[in-house]
Amino acid sequence: MGLRLIIVSALLILGTSKVNAQNYELGKVTIAELQEKSNAKDTAAPAAILFKKGRTFFTYTEGKGLVANNVYEFRIKIYKKEGLKWANQEVSYYVGYENLNDDTVKFSNAATYNLENGEIVKTKLNSEGSFKNKINKYWNQATITLPNVKVGSIIEFKYVLKSENLVRLPDFDFQYNIPVNYFEYKTEIPEFFIYKTLLVGNLKIETNAEVVLSSQVFASGYKQINSFYTSKDIPALNEERFVDNINNYRGSIQNELEKERYPDKPAINYTKTWEGVATSIYKSKDFGGELKQKDYFSADLKEILQKTDSKKEQLNLIFQFVQNRMNCTGKRGYFVDKGVVKAYEEKSGNVAEINFILISMLKTAGIDVGPVLVSTVENGIPVFPNRTVFNYVIGVAEIDGQKILLDASNKFTTPNILPLSLLNWKGRLIKEDGTSQEIDLIPKITSKENYTITASINPALGEIEGRLRIKKTDYDAFRFREINSNDNEDSYLEKLENDLGKIEIEDYKIENKTGDLSKPVQEEFNFKARNSFDLIGGKIFLRPILFFTDGTNPFKQEKRQMPVYFGYPGQETYNVFLDIPDGFVVESLPKPMRIVTENRDASYTMNMISEESKIHIQVTKEINKYIFATDDYDMLKEFFQNIIASQNEKIVLKRI
Amino acid sequence: MKSPFFALFFLLFSLISTAQKSDFSVLGIADSLKANADAVVRLDKMDIVITSQRSMNIKVQRVVTVFNGTGLSDIDAYQGYDKSTSVKSIEAIVYDAFGNEIKKVKRKDFKDQSAVSGSTLFSDNRVIFLEYTPVSYPFTVVYNSEIESSNTAFLPQWYFLGGYAVSIEKSVLNVTFPNNLGFKKKEFHFSGYTINKTLDTDTQVSYVATNILAQKSEDLSPSHRDLFPRIMMGLENFHLEGVDGTAKTWETFGKWYNEKILTGTTDLSEETKTKIKTLVGDEKDPIKKAKIIYDFVQKKSRYVNIAIGIGGWKPMLATDVDRLGYGDCKALSNYTKALLQAVDVPSYNTILYGDRYKSDIQSDFVSMQGNHMILAIPNGDNYTFLECTSQDDPFGYQGTFTDDRDVLVVKPDGGVIVRTKIYEDKGNSQLDKGVYAIDENGNFSGSISIISEGSQYSSKQRLESFQPTEKESYYKKYWDNINNLKLGKIAFSNDKENIRFTEDIQVSAISYASLSANKMIFAIDAFNQNTGNIKRIRNRKNPFQVQRGYLDTDEIEINLPTGFTIEFLPSNYELKGKFGEYKTEIIKKENNKLLYKRSMFVNKGKYSNKEYDEYRLFMEQIARNDNAKIILTKN
Repeated sequence: MGLRLIIVSALLILGTSKVNAQNYELGKVTIAELQEKSNAKDTAAPAAILFKKGRTFFTYTEGKGLVANNVYEFRIKIYKKEGLKWANQEVSYYVGYENLNDDTVKFSNAATYNLENGEIVKTKLNSEGSFKNKINKYWNQATITLPNVKVGSIIEFKYVLKSENLVRLPDFDFQYNIPVNYFEYKTEIPEFFIYKTLLVGNLKIETNAEVVLSSQVFASGYKQINSFYTSKDIPALNEERFVDNINNYRGSIQNELEKERYPDKPAINYTKTWEGVATSIYKSKDFGGELKQKDYFSADLKEILQKTDSKKEQLNLIFQFVQNRMNCTGKRGYFVDKGVVKAYEEKSGNVAEINFILISMLKTAGIDVGPVLVSTVENGIPVFPNRTVFNYVIGVAEIDGQKILLDASNKFTTPNILPLSLLNWKGRLIKEDGTSQEIDLIPKITSKENYTITASINPALGEIEGRLRIKKTDYDAFRFREINSNDNEDSYLEKLENDLGKIEIEDYKIENKTGDLSKPVQEEFNFKARNSFDLIGGKIFLRPILFFTDGTNPFKQEKRQMPVYFGYPGQETYNVFLDIPDGFVVESLPKPMRIVTENRDASYTMNMISEESKIHIQVTKEINKYIFATDDYDMLKEFFQNIIASQNEKIVLKRI
Repeated sequence: MKSPFFALFFLLFSLISTAQKSDFSVLGIADSLKANADAVVRLDKMDIVITSQRSMNIKVQRVVTVFNGTGLSDIDAYQGYDKSTSVKSIEAIVYDAFGNEIKKVKRKDFKDQSAVSGSTLFSDNRVIFLEYTPVSYPFTVVYNSEIESSNTAFLPQWYFLGGYAVSIEKSVLNVTFPNNLGFKKKEFHFSGYTINKTLDTDTQVSYVATNILAQKSEDLSPSHRDLFPRIMMGLENFHLEGVDGTAKTWETFGKWYNEKILTGTTDLSEETKTKIKTLVGDEKDPIKKAKIIYDFVQKKSRYVNIAIGIGGWKPMLATDVDRLGYGDCKALSNYTKALLQAVDVPSYNTILYGDRYKSDIQSDFVSMQGNHMILAIPNGDNYTFLECTSQDDPFGYQGTFTDDRDVLVVKPDGGVIVRTKIYEDKGNSQLDKGVYAIDENGNFSGSISIISEGSQYSSKQRLESFQPTEKESYYKKYWDNINNLKLGKIAFSNDKENIRFTEDIQVSAISYASLSANKMIFAIDAFNQNTGNIKRIRNRKNPFQVQRGYLDTDEIEINLPTGFTIEFLPSNYELKGKFGEYKTEIIKKENNKLLYKRSMFVNKGKYSNKEYDEYRLFMEQIARNDNAKIILTKN
């Protein structure tokens, strides 16, 4: 059996390498490639990766143990000046392990190819263009800059990244902001390790796997799983507005260790199911162990609990206590750094420390509460169960059957309001018994912004004068507080005046910017607006919601590559009560408007009534979904286009 | 009355301890210092001891009270170092609002990291800095550091007010130096501040500044370098990375720079020399030769910054640039110089501040200055300057990065200060010629040709390198007054010979005009609307400036829809003032056609704070008129 397998696989490998030999081997640059003026599939591309090859295999060294060797080979064609930056290459590698040797990176086979008088001229990289940089305690960086690179050049290089960290293999990205003509990635994993493989992005790629006999790593033969991934013509992926994280959509192959099973030892489960992830994280001393500690806050907790018997109020008080006492070092992660006791004493800690303190206090107070592992937006979406997808931990409490999400490491959050970077798919609640449960992080409640204007028009002065009331709830309130927390009133007003078409603000009042954060932020002030209407030929032309009119469509691109992310459902309402000046009457009003998209995911209404000398305008805009599929882009674009058209229709007043 | 003795002792003890702590309590800070301030620098003390030409010791003590998160950046608890500068000690102590010590940060708890940034590929500069999470505001950091350096070419500036929204209670400078090194100093912008020179001998200088109030950042202000007090210092006899130097006059400095830094860096292989000679051929005119060589360098090389040791100051060898095809500004300038030498065209390394904001080499203060290098080629009585790091700039073009400023031209017989090219306001022009039509549904379609010259060329030239999506978003932003804009054909022509960039663009948009009842309304100036986006600033304090003037001229033909008559046409308009001139004119033609003419000229200038609102209103008037609407009625 075994023998046949080997033969088959050897043939297979021979077969594939033969096909590839002409095009995908370093050093074999062709004149045709050098003559190419632009990329066939993307003529605007400044450069293209003609191929990227990767191979991951394991070696064993006495005393060091197993090492994952990751070999990468690139050939890149430069078409335009903007593509010259590809001639500089940087690879960061980790040197901050506690129990493992540092990762290493070594570049080789780096060269530039140019066509000179019809001949291929190769310039090799030597040591003067190669650098090692110690960024900080945790990271080093290897850098090369290739010689003699011009428009039209082809560059090639290879590097080997060695790591003793076998838990997560380096991600193999195959999509960049330039096209990739061809890629292949091969992993050769001894049977003692089972990796979970994740394909990110929505590109179709070819994969196949086979089992072969091997004795590369250990003297005695063992089985090895060879997996092979390949595809062609991967389009460039570029930044777009309203995207949570481009890496959620970038083509990439990720591998995480699931199980270790040496012949004579019991198997070690790293991950497999969410349950497995939960147990393994919970068992860590820096997680579950820290959650068990509770003596350090007894005195403070006792004092809080004396104030009320209501569980809900207790929760609020404890939350506020921890939020006020603790200051976040900005470090993310789900493990503690210095430990909860020391953090509590020093009044500063990382996210895990602060939220563990919160969870422990709530639990001691008799509230049903547990830790929830979360991945921030910047960290990407956790789709498959594994340990490394999470980078943050919050709490969830349950009172009267209602779940309340809690993050006390931010100064502006409240129960059920999380920092915006946590509004990312789903979290995992870990229970003490090792079971876990999915927790939806996307807010169900609609955050609201309410604007009420009462104003009168003064045609002689060309002014609109009035009073404006603004009310912001939930996430809109959170955002307001977070953005403006450091501004003093003067500079905030300057900003507001300029944002609202240079109105002049007086008599400004604000409530609940600080203090009780569960209440809406309310602003109120008098204003004078100079540029809010046109007086043309004895007629007044003005836009129904004045300086709040949307001027431009946020969606300008013709084509969209990624889904549209809004973060949370929101509603904006404008109520404008206008006094018609003496001597004028309404000549025409814009048409009332109602736009509703499919499934009511977004809606817009404008209504207007005019009675005697008054006009009342009401505009409501709702976005009811936090993310829209790429296919919905055209619909959204049109939706905003219609809104703008509607808001820019004029109210016309004429002299009597 | 049980133990009066102990009570007394305790009282004494607490008195002493509060007396010590009260130094750092925030209670004593004057209200005037707190106004508009995110932080107050209680003390900023710098002791510079120059023991010899090759040795300098600097001690810094900063006591900073921080009121909020924005003020964190005023703590400035960091120290850079490299091979010739070592950090002897560094520490910080944090006090709470009442002056109680809450944290001590020792050297090992400071973060140490590489100081490579931005476009630099590699540098051996590193930085040690304090990373502290505040537990409550306000708090006070006492920071102490001491460095020793063998580089005396760059004495630090005394520049205690480094930004806005921070005030200074007290700042002290003490400098000690041997009397034979030619210590010199220059004061800037002292007026209006309480700054006293307390000592000034041939070996010592001391200054004290007190009660400097926080200032607000305001748009269009000069750089704070040109507003805030500072002292430049330098030595006539200094040391730089193993080389002794002299800076008595620009002449001697230039000679030194040539001999010690540049000598031997411009050799080339015979092969390259021959190649260049062949390339230049029979051309005799030095400027034309230079053009050929500049084009060669632009095609061959790219900008890569590698700063190692004296490499930070000494250019890479021309032979290396020739071989590798990359280098930083010094390397590429020097390489171009070497190539020019090979065909007998003289050229000189030129040191300056490269920045959109014009800033001068201080001509009356001979010292190492500047952050950039270009190349000067004598051209009659003047110079032609070459930006050698750019692969796109036309020959001799100085755009907005090196124009109109004092620079140091390093000639073999010494350095001279020269003013770079000044682009006249009227030459910074944009000429728009176009046509558009509105159909009976209010839809817009048209085409335009935009020709940019002078300093306006530099902002347009980059369009050529844009990706299609970038072009799309550029134009949709440029014409954000046209909703639903759709771009048709876009064509560029870049005339580098005459430094003129032309864009030819076709655009269309549905519902440009709004229809209400039987009327159609739209802004007549579709293609070049000035948004007048000059911020309102409450009680402006600083003067303001327009660094580069410009002239925009538009001539647009407009085809009105059939079946409509003009109900209202904006009247012709003219505005003249000290800031510039603006004029629009609408001429009715037969066949439902209009001709719209517009010119807007803004001159460069420096103005007082009082004139700001006037300027804002000037721009706003223009914006209003640019947005003037035409009304049509359906027949």
